[in-house]
Amino acid sequence: MSEWWTYTPADFLMFSPRVYVRLIERYNQDFWPLQPVFQAGMLAIMVLAVREVRFAKVALLPAFAVAWAFCGWQFLWLRYATISWGATYAATAFFLQAALLALLSFDPHHRFAASRSRRYGGMLLALYGVVVHPLLGLLSTRSLAAAETFGMMPDPTAITTLGTVLTIGGQRFLLLLPVPLLWCAFSGVTLLAMEDRGAVVPLASIAFVAALLATHDRPRAMPGNR
Amino acid sequence: MRFTRRSVLQGFALAASLPAMGHSSHAQVAGMVRRAIPSSGEEIPAIGLGTWITFNVGDDPVLQDECAAVMAAFFEGGGRMIDSSPMYGSSQPTIGYGLKKLGYPDRLFAAEKVWISDPASGAEQIEASRAYWGVQKFDLMQVHNLVSWEDHLPMLFEMKAKAQLRYVGITTSEGRRHREIESVMASEPIDFVQVTYNILDREAEERILPLAQEKGIAVIVNRPFRQGSLIRQLDDEPLPEWIAETGARSWAQFLLKFIVSHPAITCAIPATTRVDHVRENLEAGGGVLPDETMRRRMVDYVEAL
Repeated sequence: MSEWWTYTPADFLMFSPRVYVRLIERYNQDFWPLQPVFQAGMLAIMVLAVREVRFAKVALLPAFAVAWAFCGWQFLWLRYATISWGATYAATAFFLQAALLALLSFDPHHRFAASRSRRYGGMLLALYGVVVHPLLGLLSTRSLAAAETFGMMPDPTAITTLGTVLTIGGQRFLLLLPVPLLWCAFSGVTLLAMEDRGAVVPLASIAFVAALLATHDRPRAMPGNR
Repeated sequence: MRFTRRSVLQGFALAASLPAMGHSSHAQVAGMVRRAIPSSGEEIPAIGLGTWITFNVGDDPVLQDECAAVMAAFFEGGGRMIDSSPMYGSSQPTIGYGLKKLGYPDRLFAAEKVWISDPASGAEQIEASRAYWGVQKFDLMQVHNLVSWEDHLPMLFEMKAKAQLRYVGITTSEGRRHREIESVMASEPIDFVQVTYNILDREAEERILPLAQEKGIAVIVNRPFRQGSLIRQLDDEPLPEWIAETGARSWAQFLLKFIVSHPAITCAIPATTRVDHVRENLEAGGGVLPDETMRRRMVDYVEAL
């Protein structure tokens, strides 16, 4: 691209905020009541996994894989791509993330063994993604009909994944961070271009993850880690 | 002196634009101002319809109908040129939806773009665009943002020679690559050039617009309102009383009258999602156009705000 320095994020915004919000509303309508099912299901798996319930620990990463694949296919590929051609590339990244999650779910070293700050910070972020993020739109002019929920929409799915991955020990699980981090950057810039105050959330999530990764406190020995 | 069809037509076009360059503020009155395309002499209304962002509504039936209503009001108000691009997301199918709903109005002047770096895929992309619009052929095909223009232009000239399209053009926006635009204007027999021009972005006045007049190239103006930000910026400011002489009742009309009163401009293409706005825009092409003195006054007024 020539004269690239003359471009701003707003130059790449192809649709109006109204079109974007209506897209989410219609999408939510198409799948209702899948949203609370996704949320409750993920919340249950996360809580049980923290309590070291074997089934939940085994189901954790496959559940995320399903969420990434569903969101990439139904929202990015089939819907968002109708107003933003870049969404097809994002959808491909989401499918890659789903494949990575599925692959790593077979890892026998999959356990909670992160440092204390990563573990609790990650849990906080994951909890935010599943429970609080859908209410974010209420701070702006959006109604609950345009709520962004885990498994359905990319932002809460990416944020919840980031939080959860931080709670997992083992270097190889860090492979699960790049795609959600890249998505958060892309989403933050897009929302900024739309002058949406919600832009702060994906961008702050990146900063939060970076801060937690930079923290080096002593790993806490967990029962399942012995 | 050698007279060619092109030079004679340019002469007619220049003659048609001369009144607007004079000092009488009553140069062009009543009805929509029409400007001649220098290479053919065909006249088109000076206000067209852009589709960047506004027509990218996906498959939302409510918004598609709103866009169709805008198109209906546009044609009813005397508009002709609708401009789009493969880069504009779902704008092309939205136009196709509207045209089908309106029964493919004869008035339509279909302006499209080719926007692909692979030269071999240009024809395929144009055909896909044509299918989206549902028209038999495009009136104007432009090379979008000069992407692979060295390869696309020969193909477009060939299509024009085969009557598969009527005019060939190039585009840029926001003042980018003006030197290259000038070079293409000087060396290629294009019919149209599309650039950004508005009351605050007047770089095109320096070289592009004079060159267009000299070479007999029609000029389409994009971003007349800086994607709406100019109007938002001016909305809280008072419209000067003296602009009433031109019939302008709003900032949108003030800004459009400034643009189309330049004698080199053939058509401005404001984009909107609202029927009342498209009517307001079209009205700006009627009434009185500002003369040179008033144009300077308009610039001074806006720059002082």
